[in-house]
Amino acid sequence: MDLSYLQVLEREKVLEVLRRDKQLRTVEEDRIRRMKCELQDLRRRGAKNFARQYGERTCARCQRPLGKFWNSGAVCCGCSHRICRRCRVGAENWKCTVCHAYREVKIMSGEWFLEEKAKKFPLAKDKYETVGDMLLKIYSGLSHISVVPPTPPPNKDYQFMGRFGELKNSKSFTKSMEDVMVSFKCQIRESNSHNDVRVDFLQVDNSRNGGFFKSSNQKSLSDTNINKSSILFKVPSLPNLFKKSKDSDMEGSSTGAEDEASISSEHSGGQRSSISSISADCGHFDSVSVTGELELAMVYNSNALCLEVTVGACRNLTHGDGKRKKCNPYVKLYVLPDKSSKLKTSVKRNTTDPIYNEVVKYDIERHLLFGKRLQASVWHSGTLKRRVFLGEVLIPLDGWRYEDKSPQRFHWYPLCPKVRAENTFGKEPELMFGLLKV
Amino acid sequence: MTDGDYDYLIKLLALGDSGVGKTTFLYRYTDNKFNPKFITTVGIDFREKRVVYTASNPNGTTTGKTFKVHLQLWDTAGQERFRSLTTAFFRDAMGFLLMFDLTSQQSFLNVRNWMSQLQANAYCENPDIVLVGNKVDLADQREVQEKQAKELADKYGIPYFETSAATGAEVDKAVITLLDLVMKRMEQCVDKPPADSANGNGATKLSDAQPIEKKCAC
Repeated sequence: MDLSYLQVLEREKVLEVLRRDKQLRTVEEDRIRRMKCELQDLRRRGAKNFARQYGERTCARCQRPLGKFWNSGAVCCGCSHRICRRCRVGAENWKCTVCHAYREVKIMSGEWFLEEKAKKFPLAKDKYETVGDMLLKIYSGLSHISVVPPTPPPNKDYQFMGRFGELKNSKSFTKSMEDVMVSFKCQIRESNSHNDVRVDFLQVDNSRNGGFFKSSNQKSLSDTNINKSSILFKVPSLPNLFKKSKDSDMEGSSTGAEDEASISSEHSGGQRSSISSISADCGHFDSVSVTGELELAMVYNSNALCLEVTVGACRNLTHGDGKRKKCNPYVKLYVLPDKSSKLKTSVKRNTTDPIYNEVVKYDIERHLLFGKRLQASVWHSGTLKRRVFLGEVLIPLDGWRYEDKSPQRFHWYPLCPKVRAENTFGKEPELMFGLLKV
Repeated sequence: MTDGDYDYLIKLLALGDSGVGKTTFLYRYTDNKFNPKFITTVGIDFREKRVVYTASNPNGTTTGKTFKVHLQLWDTAGQERFRSLTTAFFRDAMGFLLMFDLTSQQSFLNVRNWMSQLQANAYCENPDIVLVGNKVDLADQREVQEKQAKELADKYGIPYFETSAATGAEVDKAVITLLDLVMKRMEQCVDKPPADSANGNGATKLSDAQPIEKKCAC
């Protein structure tokens, strides 16, 4: 597709239309993300919890016990799970609540259309990208920033490959090297502030919370990085969403939707595996498996012009100190991408279900919330300033309905692990030096 | 800026020869106004409208459920020189308003060409289309008879409307009919068994059949 045959004024006019379209799609992506978050939430509510004992026959959605003869439940035609009477939607061809919601989201989010389109145009790289999107990217000056990625010396390849087992091909290798560059710069800048700063760079989350994020540190200069961030910009597809929630769903119950999940993208899986290795690598904070939920309420106070976030409580946290079964959790909040906005709650001692009920306020004008995200991470405060990451939630603030005048509504958010950031490889600055010397 | 307070975003697209009245048709639909001046569309444009859609059962009775639908109505340039740009946008639309001018036989003859353009560029081989004969108010200049147009629409199996952007006649009906088709299509797409597995079965059948043939040959 080429606009070069148009006159300059005509091209401007077309681009203006495309920008309007982009705005519309931004709103739409936001709406879809909200919908998918709700769906994920619904699924999680049905997931079994290790802490509780279950009878053999329970409803797969609400975990209520089912009888042998009466109230014995029936099998959902969508997910083939045994479902009690209360968790069904529809009369004759009923489906369980989750299968029903999955279908609704597929229709309402336009996922059906993308799937149909992908059947006819299977070669399209990114099924979310519209023609308008593509043209806009080419012509709106996004592409004029370009930095040639550093080429790694060929003889060093093996060594590095050994070091990062996950890096399967040289393309991702090059990318990661750029990441090293980027994060290295970050580190120099930020290293004299607090210990856990670098941890917070790990925030490009394209899976758990719906992933519509601009990379927070605007250093993605090269073309490859731009492409990458534009991918991260997208809302995960439904099958992906299911895949990602799968391992946190302890029961592993499958809906019809999850069958599709098996063909979903591999790269997200790769990213996940790399997180664990990195967090193990990095000596500055420890990470444990993430469980539990965080309760938050948000409201925009238009009189005081501030965003008020009430941290209610946490439940089912992992023990920050697994050996001694200790946990002293606190919650740290940022309004990303602004890193100076850190606020913390108090530390609660010896509990995995802390109750805070603390209100934190961010002075920010409402329109500035557009494109911002609230990052709330839970940490265990150990001895000798040791910090253990217990999980986090990322909430896009532009999709939030601040207009709610009603008293603050608390909502439980499932905690998520840190998801790969663009500079996860920044843990090894000396690697960078090695490269520069060669 | 639009808010996200709607249930569906439906993208429709108007296409047809230059001057058949696509822009005025959409302007009438979204703003209920008529602009008789001819201003040629540069490449592409779109208009938006929020409508309330009442879902109906297959048997035609309404379920009483209503949804807020945000319509994005793409307007395309009919001029030949924008063709490569406009056809590229076909693939992102869910339904199509194929328009011609009732006072121009040539624009009607070109409907065939537009149909094949759609088949090639739309998101699927048989997308939802509504055939629209515009300028029905100019009765004395009429060149295309209703019967002719109806026959063509029947051949393609699509609905046909005679509209007037000047008076507003049938404009809403044409768009709502198309919206209805798209809404029904969504349900079908989601409820039908996944085509992937159907293809998969087909493939296994094929590969099953081949060895048997070989055996016969031996």
